[in-house]
Amino acid sequence: MKTRLLTDRAGSGTHRLLAVALAAVAPAALAGTPINQRAAADPAGQVEISNISGSVAVTGWDRNEVEVRGELGDGTEKLEFSRTGQLTRVKVIMPKRSSHVEGTDLIVKVPAGSSIAVNTVSADLNVRDVRGAQRLQSVSGDIQTGVASEDLECKTVSGNVRVTGSGQRSLTTVMTVSGDAALERVAGEVNGNTVSGDLTVSMGETSRSRLRSTSGDLVVNGRLADDARLDFESMSGDVRVALAEPVSAEFDVSSFNGEISNCFGPKPVRTDEYAPGTELRFRQGAGGARVRIKTFNGDVQLCNK
Amino acid sequence: MNQGPADRPDRLQEALSQLPRGIEPGRDLWPGIAARLEPRSEPARVRAVPRWAWAAAAATVLVVASSIVTATLMRREAAMTARTAPTAQSAPEVVQAVAGSATAAFGPGHRVGPAYLANRRVLARELEVRLARLPPEGREQLAKNIAELRRASAEINAALELHPGDPLLEELLFNIYQDEISVLANVDRLTAADTKTAPTRIPL
Repeated sequence: MKTRLLTDRAGSGTHRLLAVALAAVAPAALAGTPINQRAAADPAGQVEISNISGSVAVTGWDRNEVEVRGELGDGTEKLEFSRTGQLTRVKVIMPKRSSHVEGTDLIVKVPAGSSIAVNTVSADLNVRDVRGAQRLQSVSGDIQTGVASEDLECKTVSGNVRVTGSGQRSLTTVMTVSGDAALERVAGEVNGNTVSGDLTVSMGETSRSRLRSTSGDLVVNGRLADDARLDFESMSGDVRVALAEPVSAEFDVSSFNGEISNCFGPKPVRTDEYAPGTELRFRQGAGGARVRIKTFNGDVQLCNK
Repeated sequence: MNQGPADRPDRLQEALSQLPRGIEPGRDLWPGIAARLEPRSEPARVRAVPRWAWAAAAATVLVVASSIVTATLMRREAAMTARTAPTAQSAPEVVQAVAGSATAAFGPGHRVGPAYLANRRVLARELEVRLARLPPEGREQLAKNIAELRRASAEINAALELHPGDPLLEELLFNIYQDEISVLANVDRLTAADTKTAPTRIPL
């Protein structure tokens, strides 16, 4: 959805015709070549950044321009810095064949209302004060960002993710393979998926959340919206959920081999005399929200706070 | 004086009616009966073992096989890393572990649809080129975590052998297969130079 948004706005023929290559700089093989580029930008435009290794720091500011500083790594071909309509592109170009390329450090300032899309392989990524939508991807680099009310999507393989929300409602999506993810003060809709990483989520008032893990633990602290729908699932990881009072929800918890503990009172029961599964179904308060937790081997701990 | 034959039925009936209708044994016979019944129940348990054993054996074979593949790959990765910078040559080996030729079961007697397996193979082929761009630890992590997903699906399949039709197990297994495709698709995207659409949800 965010990708389409970027493509649609940037893809009109007029804008493409008016595309201006602002700079194509830095000859190859200059060690630690300083970067200092700046260009006017739409206050609510899109900025795409791509860097294989090194680091990327993106900060929102109150100027209608994009500034790129930093240092181009040894062996890098060049930095592409261009604008096409509302889209500003910052891309570190790697040579076709190279045995040794140093990482590039990028410090990018964008209009605070910009939407950003950042792709890295091993470069760490740090985003601050950006109010627009964010799509952040890294294979092994760590991602750290703050989110306001716009959508955020973070994806990594082995990199860790840290998201600090503002308590405003937004759509937050985090996917990792082995990386851990820690989300604080996120609210609205929160989705996460990992294989072996741990997901730790501290939610403000949450209306929708779907968190899944294979072997990583899911740890959730949150406040339920009146009509909230939470759906947590794990294979062998534990699921620990603490909900702020007052809690008004219907709970549906099942585990095939794991233990279920519940601070709200009702005890789990065996699903079958001959099978190992247990389940816990109960209503707390008026029961407007729904909380569903399923595990295979993982334990479930359900508590109020 | 002898009684005539005509008298005998009445007297016999009378004598029979005097007999008690039941006779209480002089001691409690049940412990003895139970002791003799106990060995008969053993064969029933023994009969149940092969089914469990087959399921466990199948799961063990899957886990051991995936562990061997992972361990082999990790040893090769370590050797290559020590020797030189990462090269594209290791990508096919990781793809072999990632995509594999393993069939995907869905409980006893069911196989996951051919569309799923075909899409998994397509994703794996596309990955082969892009995996070369991953750092060695990235490839290692990917192989380990795909093995983790495979182990989880093998465990649930083994449980489904014992408890066919269990809705919780079926739901978890369905989702684990989707997760595997989702992981492959996401890695495909993360390592792609340009963002192309790859399927993330495949019909089973």
